[in-house]
Amino acid sequence: MNGRSRRAKLLGAVFSFALAVTAGVAHGETPANALIVAQSIDDAVSFDPAEGFELTTVQSFNNLYQRLIESDRAEGTKIGPALAASWEAGADGKSLTFALTGKSVFASGNPVRPEDVIFSLTRAVKLNKSPAFILNELGWTAENVDKAVEKIDDTHVKLTWTADVGPAFALSLLTAPIASIVDEKTVSGEAKDNDFGNGWLKTNSAGSGAFKIASYTPHEALVLEANGQSADKPKLENVILRNVPDVAARRLLVEQGDADIARGLGADQIDALKDKPGIKVLSVPSARTDYILINSKANATLGNPAFWEAARYLVDYNGIAKDLLRGQSQVHQAFLPVGFPGALTDTPFSLDVEKAKKVLNDAGIKTPVKVEFIVFNDQPFLSIAQSLQASFAKAGIELDIQPGVASDIYAKGRSGQYQMTLRYWIPDYFDPHSNASAFSNNRDNSTNTAAKYAGWVIPELTDETLAAVKEQDAAKRTALYQDLQKKVQKSSPFVFLLQGNDQVVISDKVKNYVQGLNADQVYYDHVEK
Amino acid sequence: MQKAVLRSLPEPHNSRQPRWRELSLLGPLSKWLMSFAMTLLGLALVTFAMTRLSPIDPALQMVGDHASQSTYQAARLELGLDQPLPVQFLRYLQQAVSGNFGQSISTGQPVASDIARTFPATLELATAAIIIGSLIGLTLGIAAAMRQGGLIDAIARFVSLFGYSVPIFWLGLLMLLLFYARLHWAPGPGRLDVMFQYTVKPVTGFALIDTWMSGKAGAFRDALAHLALPAIVLAFHALAGISRLTRASILSELGQEYVLTARAKGASLSRVVFVHILPNIAGTLLTVIALAYASLLEGAVLTETVFAWPGIGRYLTTAMFSGDMPAILGATLVVGSCFVLLNALTDVAVARIHKGQAR
Repeated sequence: MNGRSRRAKLLGAVFSFALAVTAGVAHGETPANALIVAQSIDDAVSFDPAEGFELTTVQSFNNLYQRLIESDRAEGTKIGPALAASWEAGADGKSLTFALTGKSVFASGNPVRPEDVIFSLTRAVKLNKSPAFILNELGWTAENVDKAVEKIDDTHVKLTWTADVGPAFALSLLTAPIASIVDEKTVSGEAKDNDFGNGWLKTNSAGSGAFKIASYTPHEALVLEANGQSADKPKLENVILRNVPDVAARRLLVEQGDADIARGLGADQIDALKDKPGIKVLSVPSARTDYILINSKANATLGNPAFWEAARYLVDYNGIAKDLLRGQSQVHQAFLPVGFPGALTDTPFSLDVEKAKKVLNDAGIKTPVKVEFIVFNDQPFLSIAQSLQASFAKAGIELDIQPGVASDIYAKGRSGQYQMTLRYWIPDYFDPHSNASAFSNNRDNSTNTAAKYAGWVIPELTDETLAAVKEQDAAKRTALYQDLQKKVQKSSPFVFLLQGNDQVVISDKVKNYVQGLNADQVYYDHVEK
Repeated sequence: MQKAVLRSLPEPHNSRQPRWRELSLLGPLSKWLMSFAMTLLGLALVTFAMTRLSPIDPALQMVGDHASQSTYQAARLELGLDQPLPVQFLRYLQQAVSGNFGQSISTGQPVASDIARTFPATLELATAAIIIGSLIGLTLGIAAAMRQGGLIDAIARFVSLFGYSVPIFWLGLLMLLLFYARLHWAPGPGRLDVMFQYTVKPVTGFALIDTWMSGKAGAFRDALAHLALPAIVLAFHALAGISRLTRASILSELGQEYVLTARAKGASLSRVVFVHILPNIAGTLLTVIALAYASLLEGAVLTETVFAWPGIGRYLTTAMFSGDMPAILGATLVVGSCFVLLNALTDVAVARIHKGQAR
């Protein structure tokens, strides 16, 4: 009896300790002056705008830095002033002169000067990191870029280029995150071993954006703090991006009110949250397109345009968009996403097995055919691949799905060691050329483009693509891109399937959150709670 | 060892006794250090080979598919991938010996500082889990053995089978759903509430110690509350093995002659178990607990993922997916060292226990 009561006392003590620990655990409240975002930040490699090319870092740049000019938040192709109040194209069509506002200030308190513009653009080219190819489009190289960016006076800076492209195109390149302007005085002070401050900027910021990096702990959190020097001071003191790798945990956090925003949730999580009180699901069209890439050099069947045509009729477009992805994508069958000038919106193809069989039969392609299909080892790619496997099988094409990690699939694409794969494309800057240069550009396999990976040599289409990028007349340019899309849509080793929709779960308390079409267009500066 | 003993035989009682003792200790220690170094070298070699044999191209992983060929080449050069594999490995070893584990490709930070940040998180979680796991595991195991075939035995069997078979991430999510989302007894994923996470300065990397030192009201309690759920989930997994083995060991001892003698002399079952059997099986139990602890230290990736716990398990896994060689090697070596050290400590402890019993 005595022992039992001692045991009871012990149990009581354990439980009351547990209760004391867990009682009063705060729920459903995030600090009033901070925005808590639950997402994965595992991809982040560098917060240096000359290097960062991952979703997490790219989405931070508009909040940390300003560029000379910026894409309109609602209508991305419209370009507006940012650090430059105005700009003027040179008579030769190969230069632009920017007039700085003269009022902008970096978070350090240093004013924005032409020297900062020169330093930022030249270091981006010389560092030659992932996004450097965007500025290389102007013909800028580590050797010639010093001459290409020059100071005219204390408020003017002139950019010149050698590539055969017009000022309109140059401007759209300058809206990319790599053209962000960094504080030369601060960054130079942190430079080591001629790295232009790259090592330091990987985890720090030196911009004139609405926020600055207060702290960054890899795989844990990015904490942004309002930049007191910003002309357009943000409404909130902090934005905290918490790394929550598991999507179900992310869902719980936003559902319980412990996060204000949750990103990257799957269709299941979104479905479960749709009708919950206190939160809403924002569906933001994104410029991402998903497509099948066929290696035309793999064998005679895959190189046969009839196979490409048949493949277009063997995709259950609506089934994938409606049943599998449930709002996370919509059917889209051209290489320019809706929202880009000239994007084709018609969808001429639908699942038609009989037609596909006929096309194959007419071309003398004997079935059954076995095709190796390499796919990212991740969702939604595997689900889409399974749907394709089922629909292709109906016409006697057996897709052998081989999941792999991203870099392996990229490497196989580059070396042509594959038969068929499922890929996605996100434009690197707000201009149709970003996509056209990938899909309708391959004169002689000399540059890495999607067309090269498909083994598709297209000198004529390449000429058209290069003519389009040079065209100064906006209407004519749009017409050229429409024509290019039609040709690629009709016959090419690409089958365009979907355009993405970014679904962001957001608390009702959060107001004025803005997200645009392009990957970098995430803005926290006007957010209120 | 044998030599030292032999040498000491002719003069067992003279004044030079301390010297051979010294020798016999020095011998095994240097032998152990040698085998420790060889183990780490082997581990590094195997890890290096496996990572390089994997189809992941770290340079391509780093620059992405859109980057130009010249950027890609520059990245390969920067990572030293243009060198022959043996040169790459030797260069790494050379740096590692001088304490420089290199820079992680995926975080852009020195691997040493990444590990100094992530390992305490895992150590804290694993230690809490093994304490809870051993306490409950031992209690359940002893109770089940003493009431063999009874209700407690059935419960213990159910708990351990459940602990063995249930996927740990599922259990973690279920616990979150129940105790965080429904009952509101526990906080959500993460190591600290947002309120403290960015105000408490990380000094040691152990949330419990840092919050205690910060003196902030409620911070320590918050850290403890955050630790509770993931620790219980991991403990559940660990206690399954511990309770089963405790039960089995006690039952096998119960049939031994010394137990029968003690019982015949009138000793109660609990006296027999606690006074006679437990000291005898302590070595075995210690070994099992140490092994469970070591496997928890390797990083409970799934638990760390579900609970957004930035430990070394997740660090190592994300590094593997990006072919981040310096991070993979650094983390593997640290985890491997822990494993070897823990094993050695257990051996010493078990030897001590046996020595004590022999006396």
